[in-house]
Amino acid sequence: MASVRPEVYPQDSWRVYPPSAAPAVQRLVKGDQGIEGRVEAEREFSDSLARVISSMQEYLTAVGDALPYLLQGVLVTMGLVVGAMGLGLALGIMLAVGLVYGPPWIRRLFNLYVWFFRGVPLLVLLFLFYFGLFTLVGINISAFNAAVIVLGLISAAYQSQIFRGGILSLPEGQLKAARALGMSETKAILFIILPQALRLSIPGWSNEYSIILKDSAVAYALGVAEVMARAHFVASRTYQHLPLYFTAGVIFLILTYLGTKALRVLEQRVRIPGYMR
Amino acid sequence: MNAMEQQTPILKVERLTKRYGSKEVVREVSFELNHGEIKVLMGPSGGGKSTLLQCINFLVIPDEGRVWLEGKEILHSQKKELYAYRQKVGMIFQDFNLFDHLTALRNVEIALLKVRKMSKIEARDRAVGELERVGLKEHIQKYPAQLSGGQKQRVSIARALAMDPKVMLLDEPTSALDPELITEVLSVIRALGAEGMPMILATHQIEFASDLADEIVFMEDGAVVESGPPARILSQAECARTREFCSKLTGLYGEGR
Repeated sequence: MASVRPEVYPQDSWRVYPPSAAPAVQRLVKGDQGIEGRVEAEREFSDSLARVISSMQEYLTAVGDALPYLLQGVLVTMGLVVGAMGLGLALGIMLAVGLVYGPPWIRRLFNLYVWFFRGVPLLVLLFLFYFGLFTLVGINISAFNAAVIVLGLISAAYQSQIFRGGILSLPEGQLKAARALGMSETKAILFIILPQALRLSIPGWSNEYSIILKDSAVAYALGVAEVMARAHFVASRTYQHLPLYFTAGVIFLILTYLGTKALRVLEQRVRIPGYMR
Repeated sequence: MNAMEQQTPILKVERLTKRYGSKEVVREVSFELNHGEIKVLMGPSGGGKSTLLQCINFLVIPDEGRVWLEGKEILHSQKKELYAYRQKVGMIFQDFNLFDHLTALRNVEIALLKVRKMSKIEARDRAVGELERVGLKEHIQKYPAQLSGGQKQRVSIARALAMDPKVMLLDEPTSALDPELITEVLSVIRALGAEGMPMILATHQIEFASDLADEIVFMEDGAVVESGPPARILSQAECARTREFCSKLTGLYGEGR
């Protein structure tokens, strides 16, 4: 230790007091004022501690009050995610199969689809579909359903590339052997190619889960009452921005963790012994 | 089997030709395979043996040529007919091509269920039977990755046999195997031949070929250079190239078994 000066109060280098108490601490450490000055500084110090504690309490109260409301949003968020992933899965598999085995015009068409939905920002697509397209065609659809569809369409574009990679990583002989047994191309793809390609796709697919989960927060712009929208709603009325958005963030982190974990378990369960770890 | 059936060749191939770009990989190959006959395709790698075999069951669509099974011409553009035909032509690949996500049993079962529409019980019985026949009774629940090369190839033979093929096409069935594992596969093929299964077999196993073959067909650059009974082809081939190739093979593999 360089300093040998006996000190009652902590040095700046390991300060454990809130920044707002710094001036008071400075004065106390210097120790060159009279007794009144010391008393004044000590009171300032404990006041600033009290303020921090009370604002912490305020935060906690705000979180505690809003938590049930936010957690109801988890159901909506998960609804968006599961819906979009399901739609994206079904469409994505079709796209991938078409992209690998389809005739040239199908491949061109599907590539166009992928290009479009990967190229346009999510928010633009949400507004385009919800306020523009669906209204134009006269489809009366809830904001929630519109968000599921748009998230699903986008995810399909990304998922198609994940599955395409899975299909292409299989040896050519798999399809050959299936056809040699008299299977039609459709059967071979259904029973031989996809079960293997989908297994190989799970790691990439778990990425897609966390991406959709986070993207789903944008649905708040359509007024879907998911976690983010609820946090925004409460924060803008109570002015407790920090605790509410912090809590929303933590909820998303926990959902990401749980979902990724679940997919890891799935990956282990469908693992083929001695192959593909 | 009546006399008529005996006379029609089981498989007939006429002027099969396959081109990749301007390169003719298979050039006007014609032959007839009779009941119980075993033809062995020999010749250097890249000589068109594999492509020819795959043209026969239209895994590779030939540019020209016709194929008959039991006197009936196969039109590969008729999908239903093509799928039915492929069931009757068993194919064995050099690298086995077992379905990696299925156990040995499921590998044999799957086409029985999905193509031949057998009931589950029927398919299971048949699959177990075929796997027993190739000596893999204890391994039926294993996945391909848990089997040795020789075992994998025997599963693939069982898988083909379960479809009740009229002909078997074997594309270098032992080329990807350790010398120690070759024997177990060859003995299965030998037994198959003894039961009268007509076969076309591409191999470099010269001794095996001479034992088993009724005819050896020597191919190079996509064309049949020479064909005839093994005794003649292997010892006194007319074509210098055939002689050279055969003597090299004898040097390489001849002493092993």
